Amino acid sequence: MAAPNPGPKGPRVGVFVCYCGKNIAGTVDVKKVAEAAAGLPGVVYATTHEYMCSDPGQELVKRAIREQRLTGVVVAACSPSMHEVTFRRAAQEAGLNPYLLEIANVREQCSWVHEGPAATDKAVRIVRAMVEKVKGNHPLTPVEIGHSRTCLVIGGGIAGIQAALDVADAGFDVILVERSPTIGGRMAQLSETFPTLDCSQCILTPKMVDASRHPKIRILAYSEVEEVTGFLGNYRVRIRRKPAYVIADKCNLCGECAKVCPVRVPNEFDQGLSERAAIYIPFPQAVPSSYTLDAKNCLGLVPLTCGECAKVCEAKAIDYDMQEEIVEEEVGAIIVATGYDLYPKEAMAEYGHGTVPDVIDGLEFERLLSASGPTKGQVRRPSDGKVPREVVFIQCSGSRDPELHKPYCSKICCMYTAKHALLYRHNVHDGKAYVFYIDIRAGGKDYEEFVNRAMEDDRILYLRGKVAKVFREEDKVMVWGVDTLTGKRIEIRADLVVLAQAMVPAEGTWDLARKLRIACGSEGFLKEAHPKLRPLEALSAGIFMAGAAQGPKDIPEAVAQASGAAAKAVGILSADKLVHSPEVAEVDEDLCSGCKLCAPQCPYGAITVDEVAHVNEILCESCGTCVAACPSGAMSLRNCQDEQVVRMVQAALAEG
Amino acid sequence: MPKVAVYWTGGCGGCDVSFLELGPKLLDVLSQVEVVFWPALVDTKRQDLEALPGKAIDLALINGTLRTQENVEMVEVLRSKSRYVVAFGACAHLGGVPGLANLKSREELLVEVFGGGFRPTPPPGGPSEHALPELLPQTLPLAGAIPVDYVVPGCPPPPALIADLFERALAGDLPPAGHVFGKDKAVCEECPRKKEDRKLDKIVRPHELQPDGERCLLDQGMICMGPVTRGGCEAACPKAAMPCTGCLGPTPKAGDPVLAMISALASLVRAGEEGEAAFSAEDKVLDSLADPLGTLAKYSLPSFPRLARSCVPTPVRRGP
Ligand SMILES: Cc1cc2nc3c(=O)[nH]c(=O)nc-3n(C[C@H](O)[C@H](O)[C@H](O)COP(=O)(O)OP(=O)(O)OC[C@H]3O[C@@H](n4cnc5c(N)ncnc54)[C@H](O)[C@@H]3O)c2cc1C
Ligand code: SF4
Ligand code: SF4
Repeated sequence: MAAPNPGPKGPRVGVFVCYCGKNIAGTVDVKKVAEAAAGLPGVVYATTHEYMCSDPGQELVKRAIREQRLTGVVVAACSPSMHEVTFRRAAQEAGLNPYLLEIANVREQCSWVHEGPAATDKAVRIVRAMVEKVKGNHPLTPVEIGHSRTCLVIGGGIAGIQAALDVADAGFDVILVERSPTIGGRMAQLSETFPTLDCSQCILTPKMVDASRHPKIRILAYSEVEEVTGFLGNYRVRIRRKPAYVIADKCNLCGECAKVCPVRVPNEFDQGLSERAAIYIPFPQAVPSSYTLDAKNCLGLVPLTCGECAKVCEAKAIDYDMQEEIVEEEVGAIIVATGYDLYPKEAMAEYGHGTVPDVIDGLEFERLLSASGPTKGQVRRPSDGKVPREVVFIQCSGSRDPELHKPYCSKICCMYTAKHALLYRHNVHDGKAYVFYIDIRAGGKDYEEFVNRAMEDDRILYLRGKVAKVFREEDKVMVWGVDTLTGKRIEIRADLVVLAQAMVPAEGTWDLARKLRIACGSEGFLKEAHPKLRPLEALSAGIFMAGAAQGPKDIPEAVAQASGAAAKAVGILSADKLVHSPEVAEVDEDLCSGCKLCAPQCPYGAITVDEVAHVNEILCESCGTCVAACPSGAMSLRNCQDEQVVRMVQAALAEG
Repeated sequence: MPKVAVYWTGGCGGCDVSFLELGPKLLDVLSQVEVVFWPALVDTKRQDLEALPGKAIDLALINGTLRTQENVEMVEVLRSKSRYVVAFGACAHLGGVPGLANLKSREELLVEVFGGGFRPTPPPGGPSEHALPELLPQTLPLAGAIPVDYVVPGCPPPPALIADLFERALAGDLPPAGHVFGKDKAVCEECPRKKEDRKLDKIVRPHELQPDGERCLLDQGMICMGPVTRGGCEAACPKAAMPCTGCLGPTPKAGDPVLAMISALASLVRAGEEGEAAFSAEDKVLDSLADPLGTLAKYSLPSFPRLARSCVPTPVRRGP
C-alpha cells in the first residue's frame, strides 16, 4: 500500500464548511467552525460556501486542492450518502485521490438535530475527528470486476414476467425461474381486476406469450434455485429442474392423459375448489404450454404402477424416465419476484379455523368468479353448490391485528373486496352483500371512485366494525359483529363468507433469501436497502426485488417495481466494467492465525479462510463486523484503522 | 564470554526452573556464558551486583512481577549494570497471575490475607535493612519500572523460545529492541484442532467436559484464549485438551486481550434463532462465564489496567 497521507512533508488538509442555506447555518455558526478548523494541526486551508455542492462550491474545493497542494480534504456538509460521490469526483478532477476526501456530517448528525451553541461545538468536534481520519487515510484505487451479461429472474408472476421482458428487450439474456409448472403467478388466478374490471387473464396471457416467444428469455418452469454463490456481476447459480415427465415440445395439449389418469387431487390453481389428475395443466394458456406429471401424486413411476397416460398419448410426449436436471449459470444480476401467499384461514380461530366450507378466502372467491374457474364464473358456494343470496365480506382478516395475526395493512384488500362485492352483485342480481371494514384505504388512481361505486350500490352494505365470530349453523354461516358507527350488534345469517386474508410472503421466501444472502424484514418480506432511496435493491449489490415479495401490493405497483428493478439490473449488465469501493476489509496475513472466527460473522459471506483469512473485496460491504470479531487484530478496514478511530475519538472528545 | 544474570522478583520460581527444560542444550549454553548473578544458582548478593561496573552484564533475564519496593530497586540496579534486559515469563512481561491482586487495593489485600487486625509495622529496631520491604500499591510488569529490551513470554516460557533467545544472543544476532520471542500469529495457527462450527452456545469449565479430541475447544464451549494469544508454544495446552489461558500474551495488534476476547465471544455467541428474541438467551450464555477476569485477564491485568480500574469498587487508599 502507498504511504498514508501526511506524506513526507506532513499533511496539508483543507476544510470546507457548507452553510447549506439555512439547513446548517440555521443552528451552526459556520464561520466559527471554519475558524476552528483553520487552527487544527495539519490544516492549511479552511473556508465556507453557501452551497458547497453547487458548481462554484465544487470549484472552490478543486481550486484549493491545486493551489494549496492539499493532501486531504474534509467537506463539512450533509451526510456522505448524499454528496460523498460528488465531492470525491471533484477531488479526482483536481488530481487528488478521491479516498483522501472525507465528509464531516454536520447536517443530519448535527444541525438538524441540535439547537443553540452546543450545535456549533459539536460541528467543530465532528470536523476535528474527520481531519484526524483524513490524515490517516491512504490513497486507494477502486476494485474492478468483469461480469456476466445474463440476468436471473426468480418467480414468474406478473412482476417477474415484466422484469424479464424489460431486461430482454434491452438486449440481455434472461433466465426466468418459476417454481410451479407455469408462469403467470397469482394474476392468472384472478377474475377481473380493479379498478377497471378488465379480465385478468386477458391482459396477462399476452405477456406470458411474449415471454415464452422472446429469443432472449429462457423460461425454466418447475424449477427452483438451489444455490447461489459469487457476487455482483458474477453470481453462480445452481437451478434444480424437476422432471415434468412430459416433453414440452411434443405435448399438443389434447388432454387425453388427464382423462385416463385415475388419480384426483385438489387443484391448486382453483385453490382446491376443484380436482385435477396427477398429470395436468394448471390452465389452458399455461406457459410452457405443456402438461406436467406430478410425481408426488402419481400412483408410481419407479416401478411404474399404472402407466395409463403414456398409453393414450398419441404425441408420445410422456417420458417416465425423465431425470431431474441441474442447470448451472453465471449471471450478472438477480431480480427476486417470488410474490405472495394468503395468510391461511386455518389460522383464524375466530372465523372457524378454516373448517367451515362456506368460509373462503379472497383467492377462492376469485376462482368462483372466474370464467375459467370451477363454477364457470357462476358464484356458487362450495358446500352445496347453491347460489349464495347473502354474502359477508370481512376485510382486514388477519391484517392490522398485532396481537393475534399480522400487524401490517395488506394494502389491497379494501380494493379487491369492493371488486368482489361488485362482481358478486353483477353475478347474483338479487343478492345482498355486507362488507365489514375498519376503514377504507383506497389511495390509488381511480381507486376511491371505484370503492364509492361499490358503496353506492344499494344492495352492498358497508358496515364499519370488526367481526367477532363466524360459525356454522345448519346450512348457514352465522356472522356476529358490531357496527361501530351505530354501536349496534349485528348478526347475519349468511350463505357465504369471504375473508380478505392478509398477504404474506410466498412460502420459501426466507430460505431463498438466505441462499441469496439478502435480508427479510420481521414479517418475512424481502428487505430493501433503503425504504425510500433504494427501494428496489437488496443490500447485496446486484440483487433486486419486485412485486409482492417485497410487501403487499397490487398489479400496477408490482409492474412498476418490476420495470424499475429491470432498469437497475440493466444498469449493471450494460456497464463496461463494474467497480467496487476499495474501502473494504483487509487481512494482515502476517498476523492472521486462521482461527476462522471472522468468517461466519460476515453477513455477506465475503470471508473464506484457509491458512489465513481472505476477504472477497467485491462482496465486502465494509460493515466492520469481522474487524470487531477478529481477536488478534489481523482484520482491519481500509482507511478506518483502529489507530485512526482512536485518534478520531480523542479529537472528538478533546477539551476546547 | 558473554556475562549473564538471572533474577527472580515476585513470582513462583517456575521461570528459574524452566531453563532445565532446555535439556542437554542447557549444558551447551552454560558452557558458553559466564553466570555473574543468579541467586537461585550461584551465591551472589545485591552488594556483588552493585559492585559490578556499568554494563558489565550482557544479558539480564528477569522473571517475576514487581510487587515490592525492593523488587523495583533490584531491577533498577540490574538495568544499570546490563546491556540487554529481558522480561522473562508472563509475570515480568505482563504482570502475570500475581497481577490479579490489582483487583484489590494493597490495604484490602493485606486484610484479606492476614485478617482484619493486621497492621504492617516496622520491626522494633526501626526502619533498617532488615525491615520488610514495602509493598507497592499495585503490582507492575517489568516495563512499569525500567526499560525492557526483549520479552521471552510464557508461564513459564516454552523451551523453544528460551533456546531461540540464547542462540541469537550467542550468535550476536539479537533482533531490534522491543522484540518478543514468540510468533506474531495466534496460538490457533499452531493448534491442530478443527475449527468448523464457529459458534458458542454454552460455556463450560475445563473440569466439566471431556472435550472431543478433534474439534476446537471454543466450539465445545471452553474459553480458550488461543485466538488472542501469541503462538510459540506449539499449542501445548489445547493439544493436551486444556484451553489456552493466554500466558504468551496478546498478539501484537490484539490490544487488551480481555477486550479482544470479549469482542470475539460476543461475535461467536449464538442461542436459538437470529433476531432480538435470542439476545437475552445469548446474554445468559455469556453471563455463565465463571470468573471472567481470572479467565480472560489471567496474566495481563497489570499491563492493561483499564478494566481493572473499572472493576475495583473502592478507591486505592494511601498506605499506613
Ligand atoms: C384476492 C385477490 C384479488 C386481487 N385482485 C387484484 C386486482 O383486482 N387488481 C390488482 O391490481 N391486484 C390484485 N391483486 C393483487 C395481485 O394478485 C398481486 O399484486 C400480483 O399478483 C403480484 O404479482 P407478483 O408477481 O409480485 O407475485 P405472484 O403473482 O405471487 O407471483 C409470484 C410467482 O413466483 C413464483 N415463486 C414463488 N416462490 C418461488 C421460488 N422460490 N422460486 C421460483 N418461483 C417462485 C410463484 O409460483 C409465482 O408464480 C389481488 C390479490 C388477491 C389476493
Ligand atoms: S467488513 Fe463486513 S462485509 Fe466486509 S468482510 Fe468484514 S464482515 Fe464481511
Ligand atoms: S478472525 Fe482474524 S485471525 Fe481469525 S481468521 Fe479472521 S482475520 Fe484471521
